[in-house]
Amino acid sequence: MILLQSHSRFLLQTLLNRVQNLEKAVELDYHWVEFDDVRYHILVSMKNPNALLLSVSLPIPPPEAVFMGGLPFGAIEAIKAAYGVAVQILDPPRDGFNLTLKLNLGKLPPDEEHRYALLVKIASVREVVLGAPLRVVLKHLSSRTVIPGIDGLLAIVHRSKESFFLDPQPDKVTVVFPMRFKDSIDIAFATSFLQEFVEARRTAGLNNAPSCLWSPTPPLELKEAPAEALSANAGFVSFVIFPRHVEGKKLDRTVWNLSTFHAYVSYHVKCSEGFMHTRMRRRVESMIQALDRAKPGVEGRKKSPNSRSFKRLSLKEARANSIS
Amino acid sequence: MDATSRPAVVIDNGSGYTKMGFAGNVEPCFILPSVVAVNESFLNQSRAPSSKANWLAQHSAGVMADLDFFIGDEALAKSRSSNTYNLSYPIKHGQVDNWDAMERYWQQCIFNYLRCDPEDHYFLLTESPLTAPESREYTGEIMFETFNVPGLYIAVNSVLALAAGYTTSKCEMTGVVVDAGDGATYVVPVADGYVIGSSIKSIPIAGKDVTLFIQQLMRERGENVPQEDSFEVARKAKEMHCYTCSDIVKEFNKHDKEPAKYIKQWRGIKPKTGAPYSCDIGYERFLGPEVFFNPEIYSSDFSTPLPAVIDKCIQSAPIDTRRALYKVKYPSSREKIALIFDLVQNSF
Repeated sequence: MILLQSHSRFLLQTLLNRVQNLEKAVELDYHWVEFDDVRYHILVSMKNPNALLLSVSLPIPPPEAVFMGGLPFGAIEAIKAAYGVAVQILDPPRDGFNLTLKLNLGKLPPDEEHRYALLVKIASVREVVLGAPLRVVLKHLSSRTVIPGIDGLLAIVHRSKESFFLDPQPDKVTVVFPMRFKDSIDIAFATSFLQEFVEARRTAGLNNAPSCLWSPTPPLELKEAPAEALSANAGFVSFVIFPRHVEGKKLDRTVWNLSTFHAYVSYHVKCSEGFMHTRMRRRVESMIQALDRAKPGVEGRKKSPNSRSFKRLSLKEARANSIS
Repeated sequence: MDATSRPAVVIDNGSGYTKMGFAGNVEPCFILPSVVAVNESFLNQSRAPSSKANWLAQHSAGVMADLDFFIGDEALAKSRSSNTYNLSYPIKHGQVDNWDAMERYWQQCIFNYLRCDPEDHYFLLTESPLTAPESREYTGEIMFETFNVPGLYIAVNSVLALAAGYTTSKCEMTGVVVDAGDGATYVVPVADGYVIGSSIKSIPIAGKDVTLFIQQLMRERGENVPQEDSFEVARKAKEMHCYTCSDIVKEFNKHDKEPAKYIKQWRGIKPKTGAPYSCDIGYERFLGPEVFFNPEIYSSDFSTPLPAVIDKCIQSAPIDTRRALYKVKYPSSREKIALIFDLVQNSF
């Protein structure tokens, strides 16, 4: 797995399970947490087995990010556009969550393929909600306009109390990620990973990818940003997105990949650490083998019974052998 | 927000299946076969001096050598559909056998299945009662150094089985746990939450042997099952239809009187020709689990029935714990063999 999938595997599995056994009433009460502190809660009661309550809580937004009624701007419209009649937004949401959706499982499309597509879409609810502001900006980019009323920098929350920044312009959008890691080894890995990442972008095969830059200091786009948002210990990554990157179907993928870029890097940092460990383990094993082979004692002991049978020992040698 | 405010991640790695999920839910999120399918074709090239060419070859093939692997059901599907993937089972007989595969398995569990950030959660892992301290150390090393988990507890799964039976009305952490897994079966006496290590008895019959026995029975009866599928069919038969009985002779009679009620049908498709086939699942429904109670029907070198092993286990425990141990016995539900414990009780 190189890219993170946009749907939550467990949510999709639960939904599919529920839809396939709709006539059997069961009680479900699951809660779980995904990366970047997105919490989910699913509730199905015996009384009304067709209704499924899905609550989502988002990472705590930093002061600079725009939140309206506990959701990023554009989220309500995005939910309505993505899900249609099968989903209803409950207001107020369940205690401790930012959003509660009521799914009416009886109202799903009857045809297998559409139903599956809708369930996958529901399982990617975090892409729809958290990616909503980004989607609005990129939608405007594809029609080469700027959202009226927003000028300058736009902050979008992606982790608890952390945000990334957009600099929307009619013909391009610059996305800047301040990268922060907790562990010192992670910082080292992430820094070199990001440098490689920028390097890899320059190879011939990737000419059409968004251009990408890494710098240890905040880039010029961020000069208006609040100072506390600019403390990044693994540098800043910026992508320049052009209209051709958000045409048609590419939009969904771009939104997802950008809004989870930090999770993507941290996943690869962990994978690289794992890979290093594998290599180290192999190296240690080969060294131990070499050491074992080089040990003089082992070989001598092995040979001694043979040599005894072939060579008659003098009394002195025999005594020395028996001592050793 | 720190890790205490989030649910802990629980991963129970067994030789056959891995169960994982979050604390606080009634059941695991995922139950997957403990198997990794690795594509070795690129890994071996990385030693070659031309690393740039290697990188390009990987890039054009659309893979990253160290990330090109699958776990669980996906692994089984991959290895069936293409022959570039090799299956490896990281856990054998309840002990981690291949640490590389194990680390990859955990990586996929955390990032692809549970999709959580390991830095945000405490972790609860399990080990079998006879795991060496070195292996526990190694597990800790991987968890802390690779995944940076904030906290880790490695519990003995038999103690967890007792904890599962811990309710407000019955506050006891004392009992004998019969831990029948896929690769190993242990009889573990636990007193007040502590394993009495010296009295652990292991039985060389486990879930896999039940499957093998069912496979053998079906083959001997001449059931129409293709050779390459027979183990899978036997496993499914075990998981879906097996039960234990209190008296084999009565059970044989019951099956003979009403075959329509007791004999189950299995339908499948031959993997090579695609032709459908069906076979009967008859006596093996109760004969399979019977290998625990009458091992001589399956193996010639081990013939002590399970109740006798439990008795021996309790007899070898310290004398002050024996009375409590005789009182309660818990089945561990690691494998879905319905080890009905009335049976054990009856035979005392």
